[in-house]
Amino acid sequence: MAAFMFTVTPSIQKAVSLINNIEKSKISLLLTRILSKLYIVESRPFTDEEEEKLQGALGVSSEELELVLQTLEFFVQQAAYHSAKPQVLSTQLKELQIDDDKVDCIAEVWTNGAYGVINRLKSKGLACKKLEDINWRLNLQLAQSTKVKLKAPNTLLELALKSDDDESKERIRLDFSHEELYQFYQQLETIQQQLDTLFK
Amino acid sequence: MSIIQVTGTGKSVAPDRTPFYGARVPSEIKSIIKPINKLDQDVFRKILKLIVASLEGNQVEYDDIKQLETNTLTEEILVLFFTGLTTLLKSALKHSASSLKQEMFKDDLVELQIPNIFHDDLTSVVFGSRRPKIDSHSNDSRPRFARLENLKWRVDVAISTSVLNRVLEPSVQMEMTLSDGSIKTFEVPTSKFHELRYNVAFILKEMEDLEKRSILKIKD
Repeated sequence: MAAFMFTVTPSIQKAVSLINNIEKSKISLLLTRILSKLYIVESRPFTDEEEEKLQGALGVSSEELELVLQTLEFFVQQAAYHSAKPQVLSTQLKELQIDDDKVDCIAEVWTNGAYGVINRLKSKGLACKKLEDINWRLNLQLAQSTKVKLKAPNTLLELALKSDDDESKERIRLDFSHEELYQFYQQLETIQQQLDTLFK
Repeated sequence: MSIIQVTGTGKSVAPDRTPFYGARVPSEIKSIIKPINKLDQDVFRKILKLIVASLEGNQVEYDDIKQLETNTLTEEILVLFFTGLTTLLKSALKHSASSLKQEMFKDDLVELQIPNIFHDDLTSVVFGSRRPKIDSHSNDSRPRFARLENLKWRVDVAISTSVLNRVLEPSVQMEMTLSDGSIKTFEVPTSKFHELRYNVAFILKEMEDLEKRSILKIKD
């Protein structure tokens, strides 16, 4: 039994009455945009010009628009947090006195977008950098200044790191001889064993 | 391409091979050919010791060479010998032990007009017991990119985050210490970890194939 995601507060009640006045189609558009921009750092769902247009289109003042957008975002955030099924979401929204057709509309947008959003949030971490890409090249060194005939294979492995907030990309370049690569591989195998035991 | 070597003294004609020092006698070796006849074997051995120490990676101090200075042996000539003999030994050590045979080395020394008394000492450096150490030092001093000195890792399972009540996703964190001193910490998502493992295994397989093939094609 899912906990109540929403407690009734005065601001929610005010938002609900505003939402009930907005057309169905507009609500789904607002919600789809909010979902796609959810939890992406430093981004707002609508730019300033778009917000002005919305105020005109929906016939609300700027504070009211602010309240509506925030409340919709809050609904979606809570739904994501609890990984709520659409029916659970519908029931709880109806408890808040939102009109049935609006609730159905919200639930539909949630059904379509939930999987993507939750997957994105699952992989969102707090660590600074994430491994994004792996490139490599394999060389056979034939000679050097101190040795004329040499047959030493070696590889250059490049790991491209990207930080979550798109600040910077970093590239780590590693040089491996055959033995060094084998040792690295054994360490990776140990890690894999640990991962495997998690899923037993 | 065969090179018939014509030497100044016309003593002998070398067979179809280039001497170990190359097609032309390096200028450093040319300049010691005359003075070396007057060199004492003791001093020669001492210089050789210093050279071997430097080839194994130990620094040679200026004082070591200064000590060998005597009345007849000025610093200038000492330095000349040091350079000439180092070039000679380095060119000999470039070739692997199987491609440059002892007899060929001795023949080339004769060509260079190095006195016979020095031949044994020189041969013992190139083919003797110190050779593996010299080889491993030249291997270590190859120009290379940063190497992975140390890898620390951890596997975490995130149970809950501020945005999601139930996550239960494993993730791997790695801390790599590189040979140039930098420490890189980063997270590896599970899918990328599998990709990394796959790529490393693939490279290993390619390396082994390459080693098997090249041994047959490129002969020593």
